[in-house]
Formats: sequence, C-alpha cells, structure tokens
Amino acid sequence: MIRVGVDVGGTFTDIVLEQTLAGGEQKIFVHKVASTPADQSIGVVQGVVEVCRIASVAPSAIDMVLHGTTVATNMVIERKGADVGMITTRGFRDILHMARHKRPHNFSLQFDVPWQSKPLVKRRNRLVVDERLRPPTGEVEVPLALDQVEAAAETFRRRGLKAIVICFLFSFLNNEHEAKARDIVKRVIPDAFVCCSHEVVNVIREYERFSSTAMNAYIGPTTALYLERLEGRLRENGVEARVRIMQSNGGISTVENSSRRPVGLLLSGPAGGVIGGRWTGASCNTKNIITIDVGGTSADISVIQNGQLRIKNPRDTEVAHLPVLVPMIDVDAIGAGGGSIAHLDPGGAFRVGPRSAGASPGPACYDKGGKEPAVTDAQVVLGRLDPEHFLGGDLKIVPALARAAIEEYVAKPLKLSVKDAALGVLRVVNNNMALAINSNSVAKGIDPRNFTLMGFGGAGPLHATSLAEIIGAKDTISPLHPGITAAMGLLLTELQYEYTRSVLVVAQKATSDDFASVNKIVADLTAEARVQLLADGVPTEKHKFSTVAECRYVGQGFELRASMPEGALGATNVGAVVKSFYDAHKQVYGHAFEDQLVELITLRVVGSAATDTLKLPDLPRGGRVDPAEAKLYVRDTVFDDGVAYPTPRYARAKLLADDRVVGPALVVQHNSTTLVPPGYVASVLSHGDMRVARGSV
Amino acid sequence: MTLDPITLQVIGGALHAIAEQMGNVLYRMSYSSIIRESQDLGAGLFDRDYNTLCESDSTPMHIGSLPGYLRGIEKSIPLDAWKPGDCVIHNHPYFGASHSPDIAVVMPVFYEGQLVGFSANTAHHVDIGAATPGLIIDVPDMFAEGMLFNGTKLYEEGKRSESLWRYIRDNTRVPGLVMGDLEAQIASAELGVRRFQELLATYGKDTVMQATRQLMDYTEAMLRREIAKIPDGDYVAEGFLDDDGRNRGKTLPVKVTVKKRGDGVEVDLTGSAPQSPTAFNVPFEGSTKVACYFAFRALLLDTYTHEEHIPQNEGSFRPVKVTAPLGSIYNPIAPVAAEARFCQIQRVVDLIIKALAPVLPDRCTAGNAATLSFAAFSGVRPNGDYWVFLEVNEAAMGGRPKSDGPDTVEELMRNTRNNPLEDLGMHLPLICDRYELRDDVMPGAGRFRGGQGVVKSQRFLTPGFVTHESDRHEDAPWGVFGGKSGAVGKYEIYNAAKPEEIKQYPAKFSGLRVQPGDVACYFSPSGGGYGDPLERPADQVLEDVLDDFITPEHAREAYGVLLMPADNGFPWMLDTEGTQKLRASMRA
Repeated sequence: MIRVGVDVGGTFTDIVLEQTLAGGEQKIFVHKVASTPADQSIGVVQGVVEVCRIASVAPSAIDMVLHGTTVATNMVIERKGADVGMITTRGFRDILHMARHKRPHNFSLQFDVPWQSKPLVKRRNRLVVDERLRPPTGEVEVPLALDQVEAAAETFRRRGLKAIVICFLFSFLNNEHEAKARDIVKRVIPDAFVCCSHEVVNVIREYERFSSTAMNAYIGPTTALYLERLEGRLRENGVEARVRIMQSNGGISTVENSSRRPVGLLLSGPAGGVIGGRWTGASCNTKNIITIDVGGTSADISVIQNGQLRIKNPRDTEVAHLPVLVPMIDVDAIGAGGGSIAHLDPGGAFRVGPRSAGASPGPACYDKGGKEPAVTDAQVVLGRLDPEHFLGGDLKIVPALARAAIEEYVAKPLKLSVKDAALGVLRVVNNNMALAINSNSVAKGIDPRNFTLMGFGGAGPLHATSLAEIIGAKDTISPLHPGITAAMGLLLTELQYEYTRSVLVVAQKATSDDFASVNKIVADLTAEARVQLLADGVPTEKHKFSTVAECRYVGQGFELRASMPEGALGATNVGAVVKSFYDAHKQVYGHAFEDQLVELITLRVVGSAATDTLKLPDLPRGGRVDPAEAKLYVRDTVFDDGVAYPTPRYARAKLLADDRVVGPALVVQHNSTTLVPPGYVASVLSHGDMRVARGSV
Repeated sequence: MTLDPITLQVIGGALHAIAEQMGNVLYRMSYSSIIRESQDLGAGLFDRDYNTLCESDSTPMHIGSLPGYLRGIEKSIPLDAWKPGDCVIHNHPYFGASHSPDIAVVMPVFYEGQLVGFSANTAHHVDIGAATPGLIIDVPDMFAEGMLFNGTKLYEEGKRSESLWRYIRDNTRVPGLVMGDLEAQIASAELGVRRFQELLATYGKDTVMQATRQLMDYTEAMLRREIAKIPDGDYVAEGFLDDDGRNRGKTLPVKVTVKKRGDGVEVDLTGSAPQSPTAFNVPFEGSTKVACYFAFRALLLDTYTHEEHIPQNEGSFRPVKVTAPLGSIYNPIAPVAAEARFCQIQRVVDLIIKALAPVLPDRCTAGNAATLSFAAFSGVRPNGDYWVFLEVNEAAMGGRPKSDGPDTVEELMRNTRNNPLEDLGMHLPLICDRYELRDDVMPGAGRFRGGQGVVKSQRFLTPGFVTHESDRHEDAPWGVFGGKSGAVGKYEIYNAAKPEEIKQYPAKFSGLRVQPGDVACYFSPSGGGYGDPLERPADQVLEDVLDDFITPEHAREAYGVLLMPADNGFPWMLDTEGTQKLRASMRA
C-alpha cells in the first residue's frame, strides 16, 4: 500500500510518501518542490514523480494521492472565477449586492465594498422570475413562471455563460421551484455548471445561502478543470491511483464530488496542518493542543480540544469577506510569519506585518534584493537560525544583510541596539500571534493552561516557547517533521460528507409530529450520506454517522452545536440535546440560562469512513542527557531574556527516544530549528516528537 | 516614564483585543435582532477620569458615547461611592446618555483595592416601555420615553436588586428580549473587568496606565497632524430637515460652521433649528458631540486609505470642540424628549463633509443619504404577548474622489447589519415582498456616480403598528464639483388587495395602525454625484445601463452617452460616434 500526500503552499509544495510493506512496516519519504502558481498541478505531479524516484517505487504502484489545494481559494481572492448567471425571486434581485448592508469599515468614507465592486454575479446576470414560497410552511403562494425561467436561460445561453445558479427565497422549506428551474436551465445550456441554493447549502438565511451558491458556481468550472487536468497529468505520468481532495471540514472527498461542490474546498490548504497536529498530539498522548502553523506571510491557528477538531461557527465562515456556509475547521489566519516586515508607520508606531516580504524578494538575509527587515532577519541576528542549516543549507543566507536591515530600519530610528531591536521585532510578532491565539481560544472559552502549544511549519518551533509563555500554555511540542506536518495531515483524513437541513423546532415544546419530522430529516440526510459513501466504494460496515443539531435560545440569532442522541429523538431524550446546548453556551459565552427555550435550527449529518492511518516507527531508546553524539557545535544565541548564551546545536536526526536536551540549546534539522531556551528541557518522545517544557533534568 | 514603542504596541494590542471580545460576547449572546444582527452596541474600558482606553469596533454611533454616560453617572455616584461588584445601568438623555433606548451597563474595575477605571457597554434595547412600541416621535416630553435610569445600581457589591430586575421586566413590552439582552451586557462588562485586571497583573498598573496615556497621545497627535494640514478658516454648510414629526411642512434648518485653527477644530451648530416640541431632538453629550468626533476621524484618518492603525481611544476626541446653543435641536433643555436623534446627527456629519469639501477634495464625498430608516413594527400575538421588531434600512453614499458611492449601504454614523428575511418570515407575522435597489429614480450623476438607494416592502399578516423615524423626503443629497444631486426618499403604504391605491407618508410618523395585507414600503434617498458626468468614461456608463443602475434615457440626458440596440445577448451597445458628438454639444 502506497499513499502520497501533496500539500501546495504559496512557495513550496510538500510531498509525503508512505509505504506500508507486507509485514505492516511503514516507511516515510518526504520531498519539497517549488510551487507552480500558474497551474498548481504541474508542481504536484513533478513532486509525486520525484518522490517515487526517491522511494524507489514505480508511479503505478501508488494506491492513493491525497491533495490539499489552494486553487479554489486563490480564485476567490484574485477574483478569477467564472461569469455566473443567477435566476432568483422577483423583488429580490440584489440580495448579493446588499449583503448584510454593513460596510467593511466604520471610520472610512473611501472604503471599498467588495461584493459590489467585484461581485460574484454581475447585476446584469441576475434575472428575476415570478415565484413565491410562503413561510413558515413553504407552500406555493405564486407558482414558478416556467416561461420566464426558459427566457432567462436563453439569455444566459446567448451571453455565453457556463455557470448558472438558481436561488429562490425560502427554498430551504421547499426545493420544488429550484429543481424545476434547474432542469430547464440544464436543457437550454447542457454543458453549463448549474447548481441550486438548496443543493449547495440547504439552510435558512438568504444572503449567506445565495452567496455560498454563487461562490460554488464562480469557482466551479475552473476547479473542475483543474482537478480533471491534475488527474490527467497523473495518468500521463503513470500514476493510476485514486485521487482524493482535502475539504475545509477536515475530511476528504472524491474528485467528482469536489468538482461538483468546490465550495467545500476553500479551506483545503490549512486543514491538513490541523489534522497533522491532532495526529502528532495523539502519538504524544496529548489531546488538548493549540496549533500554530507559521509560514512565510501568515500563521494559521487552531484549537484541538479533547482530540477533536473545532468547527467554526457558521456565522464566521468567510472567504475574502464573502460568507461560505460550509463547515470549516476553526482555523484563524493572521498576517504574521517569517517574511513579515518590521517597520515604523508614518505616525511613528512600531509594527511587524501584515506586509510581508514573501518568498521574493524575501527577508533581507536572502540577498534577493529585499532591504527591509523581516522576522527571519531578527532570528538570524539573534543567532537562532544558522546559515548552514537554513533549509539544510539549500538556501544561502547572509547574516550581515539581516543585521544591516535591522539596524537601518529599526535600531537607528528607535535608538536601540541591534540586538534589542531584533528582540523587539520578535516580541511584537509573538505578541500579535499570541493575541490571535487568545481570540481563537480564551475568547471561545478555552483555558490555555490546560493546553499544549504545537508550533509547526518551518518556523513554528522557533516561536513556540515564547508564545506558550505569553498565553500561559503548559508546554510545547515540536513535531518530528515540523516543515511537513500539513502534508502528513493529508494522509490522516477520513472520507467525510456533510448534509444539512433547516428544521426550526422548539425543543421543550416539540410535539410528536415535530419529533417525527426531525427523525425523518435525520433519516433522509443519513440516507443521502450512505448513497454517497457507497458511490465512493466504501462498504456499509465502514460507514460512520454522527448527527448534530445547531441550536439557539428562542429569539437569539447565533446557533451553537449540540449533539444528538443515538437513535430516534423523542420526549424522553430531547433533554439531552438541550443540556448539550447549555454546556456549549456556557463554554462559549460563560453563561447559560437553564430555564429558557431552545430552538433547533439546523440538523447536520456527517457520514464518514475510516481510512488507514499513518504510523511512525518507534525510535530506538537513547535515554541520554545532552548526547555528545548529536552535538554539532556551540555558538552564541540571544534568548528572550536578552542574554547571549553559548548555545550548543544538536542534530535532530541523531536524537533517540527519551533523550533530553537541556536549554539553552538549538535542535536543528533539514527544514526547521527548535528553540530550547534556558530553563527549558526538550524531551524526545517515542516517535521522535519533542516536548519542550520548563524544568531541569 | 516613557514606555518604549515595543511595550506600547504590546499593551495597545491587548487593549484592542479586550474591547473586541467584550463586543463579541455582547452581540452573540443577545436576543434582540437590533443587538445580535444589527450590532447596535458599543463596549470598552475607561480610566478613572472617564477617558476611553479602548472601544469595540462596532457601530460608530456608540463609539465615543460612553464617556458622556460615565460623567452623567458621576452626578449621582461620585468616584468614592463605587464598590467592587457594583453594576450600574444608565440611560438618562440629560445625564450623558446617547438616547434613552441605549442603556449602558457600567462596572467598576478595582485593582489591589483601588478603583482604576470602568468596564462598560451600551446597547440599543427594543422597548423600554415608551408611549408607542419600540420607537417614539410625536410625544409630549421625555417622560414618554419610558423607563429612565440615572446612575441606578442594579448590583450592589455583587448582589442583584431583584425588585429592580422585576420592575424592568414588568415595564417593557418584550421582557424576553430585554432581560436576555441585559444579561448579555452584564456578561460583557464582567469580562471586561476580568481582562482589565489580568492586564494590570501582567504588566503592572503603572506600566499599563502609562501605556494608555501614551496611546491616547498618539491618536491625538495623528489627528492633529491631519487637521493642521487644512487651511485655517471658517467653513460653512447648510441644509434642512423635513419636519419634527408633528408640524408638517415646517422644515428645520441645520447650519454647520467648522472653525479650523492650527491643529484644532470647532464645530459650531449655531443657526440650526430651535429644539423640537416632539422627541426629534439630540442629546448633546451622548450624540451631538459623538457625531462631530466621527466626522473628523472618518475624513482625516480614513481606515481604508491610511496604512497606520490608529487605536480607538479618547485621543481622537480631544482636538474637536463642539458648540450648540442651549435650547437648540442639538442641545435641548429638559424635559423635552430627545429620543429620535439619528437623522439630525447624520446631517451634521454630512454637512461637515460638505463644508470641508472645497479644501479636502481627495477625502470628501458628494452628498450622502445621511439619514436613517428606523421602523418599529409591532403587534400583539393571540396569546397577548407583544412582538416588536426594529428594522434599520440602509440608504446610499455620494460619489467619491476615486470611486462611485456605494449602493444600499449603511452610511456615516450607523453600521448595522440587516435581518435575514427568511429568519423574520419564520418568526414574525410579517413577510417581505420586495428588497432590492430602487429603480424609480436615478442615482446622482457624476464622474463618480452616487450610490443607489434601497426599496423594502414589508407586508403585515396580522393587525399591527408602525412607527417610522426618518428624514430627507425634501432635501436631496447634493452633488459636488459638477456632480448632480441624488434623490429624496419616500414612504408608501398600500393594501396587497388594492396595490394601485398607494398612500404617501411623511418620513416620520408614530404608532400608525395597520391591517392584514397592508404593505409598508420604504424608498431610501440615493447619493449625489462627484465631478462632471460628461467626464465619466462612456463604457462605464454603458456598464451601468447593462446593469440597470441607470436607464438609457438617463445615460443620454445626464451623461451624454448614446446607445444603440445590440445583438450579443445584451440589449445595448455604445454608439461611440454619436456619444462624441452629443458630449461635445453638451460641453459647448
């Protein structure tokens, strides 16, 4: 069995090949190639072919390729999607134009309104037809004007549109009109990408549902083309494997489904890292983890609680300021990374990021023409990154340039020494990251004192201990391969499909009819999920289903997830749903009103199928303290206390299980450096992950 | 002691995060749509001198209003009368409140036994038992506004006054919403207290308080630097409001004089109308001043065009002095009511922009809708419970130096979110029949056109009441630098059974009874144009026609652009030659 994970980043594409031999032994091979932004599939295929060579396996021997992609996301951010046509209810042509009528800036007169200046569907292509459904039942008040739909479809055909959405008000109550209109459009424009709002996200709230649907069509044709091309290129290079695509919710899906519902891929990129973090935690017996994936321009932050991924509240799921009502792992991105630039703004305030030097020109020390100091330059100045180990020496860096940049742009204007200026750069960027961690943890009821901070991405382990200090996390973990944690995560996902429907039932007042309708919806959604899993070739015995009810107090506007009991819902067990909601409310807001009515708003069924997961081999036991065999050399390094300590470097590849390294020390490996400050000890765990915590041996 | 910029940045970031968290808890936990969806709220931390240290980035109207509340509360609770665990509610329009529905919840912050400041928030409550459900216009005095709290302790040393709690519950039409919203406010204020104390414990009181002083100085310096660039002088602009909601046909003048001297500025509202006999008056401390602060921040420290992040604190208020004669609509004398104040302050901001446009051509806008459509829809359910829904309808902005005015958007002092129509339809006996851009008027023509306004029609399924607070049915948003004026708003009501029998209503009316099938339709003003319409590129005019923002007739008459029928799936294409000729003749 051979599986390959491919994670495409802005700069590099990471590839992991996992080979399970007949006896169950697993081997891991990793590789990195430059990303090919114009067509990501070129880099992907190149990486896959090369990793096969490294592993000495034939491309045809690969069983599965798992892929995390930013294709869909970039298309939205760069606004390079399809020209979309929309058929909607008369009187409501501009739901997408008005959005929630809130402007993006409070204190601005010149602000941009992205959904008006760069709409997913131009106004000329939003055509209205007579039809009306009546809430709360969904009965037809005005029948659908079929001739008007036909005329609209004909107009779109003449305009050459190949992506059409059907969005009617209250279609979550009754999908009959949308389905009829879809059939007409498909007949008039047979080769168009057509989707209805009830198919994409079958839930209440017209703007969010319409916008998600429009986004699906906007990215639909090109995403489908990309995935088709990717499969084609893989086939041309002899890779016959099944291809699976990472979804925003942490599951994987088939190419066919991803092509039909690309709106589920928008967080495909960052999701792998979180899953990799959870898996690393599990192999370190650690279930409460805050992950921070530090890249060049941004850092992705997520919280894993009791071994579970957290899913973002649907009210917060946005891409490029546009709502996407699709379950997404709760990952927050912040514009702070190794390339973030330190500068004084025109008012004299000192800032780091969000402006970034990116990969080109990159930090000053890259010697590619970047003059302004980046976070990486500060690390180099303080002796935390050694030139000979930066990307294993693959990328040449010039410390003198880092020093000059810090001096010119930070030290001189602030009248600080170069060392203090560099420390200041790190202090500010760490503080920015810590505030972002807080808003994804403390602000959501998570107490970091019970959590381990896991920093990955090449630079993650350089920041982890400082961040843990600021937020008060109990310790940190440096994964065995920090630079490719996200790619590893791809090998750890499950096939997963989610189906939702709005229900609107008050739990404490539910009648037997209400329960019957809830149970029928759950049964229907489960059946839909089952059909999909079977279509993917998953045998029935591997199917897993879980159901959640998204609830709120009657009158509130924000739902929280409550778990649903196994089996049918009825008067005897509805209390468990209410209790689960109270608990969630208390955790998120610090309060719960136990005497108030709770309304079920949306039912969600998640159907999944376990896949084989990755296992790392155990390392031989070392049990040594500061093992001389792993020691490379000693060099001065400045830590957060401002003191330069003679600091030994250890080669991570030579550390064994139960070895301990006492700070001050740096543990270096090909694509990452782990900082062990004075007063800390790094302990090597059974698979080679390291726990870095305050203490002594 | 002066703190280094790095520590300053660290503490500034922490303060900002606290205010955001306070705002988040408040709007996510709350019940009424006016708070949870519209986010008509503000939250922040304050020092012992009532300086704003940080404030949530929610609705501009609330930002900067809390110091007024705190100073008003001091009249009944001096600093030494606060105890840990106290919680005060306050909404008195003559003691600093923004207006009476905006109830503030204030908790003292003690650190090492000493009062160091306050954690506070304000939120708009759906109904405080006023003369008519939800909103009021034509009432005799402030006692018709409903429950007034003046430095009232809801908690004393951590213990809630149950009799006061019951009193509030018994005096609102919608206790389910109001009590839940108050709970959310208390949770938000408690969070602020806790986080402020943690911050003091982490960095030490002296360091934190020094940082707050420096951050205020920084913000002040940034604003003064921009003010100083404006030539000294007096800049005047005038407009008028429709009426006071009772005396129809009697317009109310608004006069703004911006007196710019050095790095400071005074807004003098002398010459504006005397106070109204209705609720159409503006509390001076909590609303008039706040509007003027907003105008200069938005004009001079525009967060879209400025790269630097300016902390939200007291510093942005200091360079701006506000004067309004006592007894005028912007500084009324008790006991006249002062609840309906938003349209007036929107016009102050718009007139400040108009006054300064000649010297700030790159930062101003053409005339904005600068109004409000605040509708209170209500009724009584069969079980005797009231339902009250407050709806804020957006309008549009004027054209701008580099871009068109945004269509259908919350402008100036407001920035709420609309309510999902489907959510309303599922829960209220009210159904929306139309919500889209207006097509009965054209937005102001210009090199950059004005934004188009909105039309929203709500149909009652059961009998009910409507109160509507709005303005600008008379004085259209102006154009600047050759741009044309936009359009005024209107309000129509008809019954769905007889859609041809349309009745026109003034912008403000109170407690109107409506019947099943009655449809209440609001048409917002649209913005004025910026610059000469003949300078607008012809292909952009064509785009506007294809998108039905404007008609082909308007393209010809206002822009001098001629179109001809097309056969490419779109109805029109450009008549380039005809356009050149027409434009030349229009310029001549």
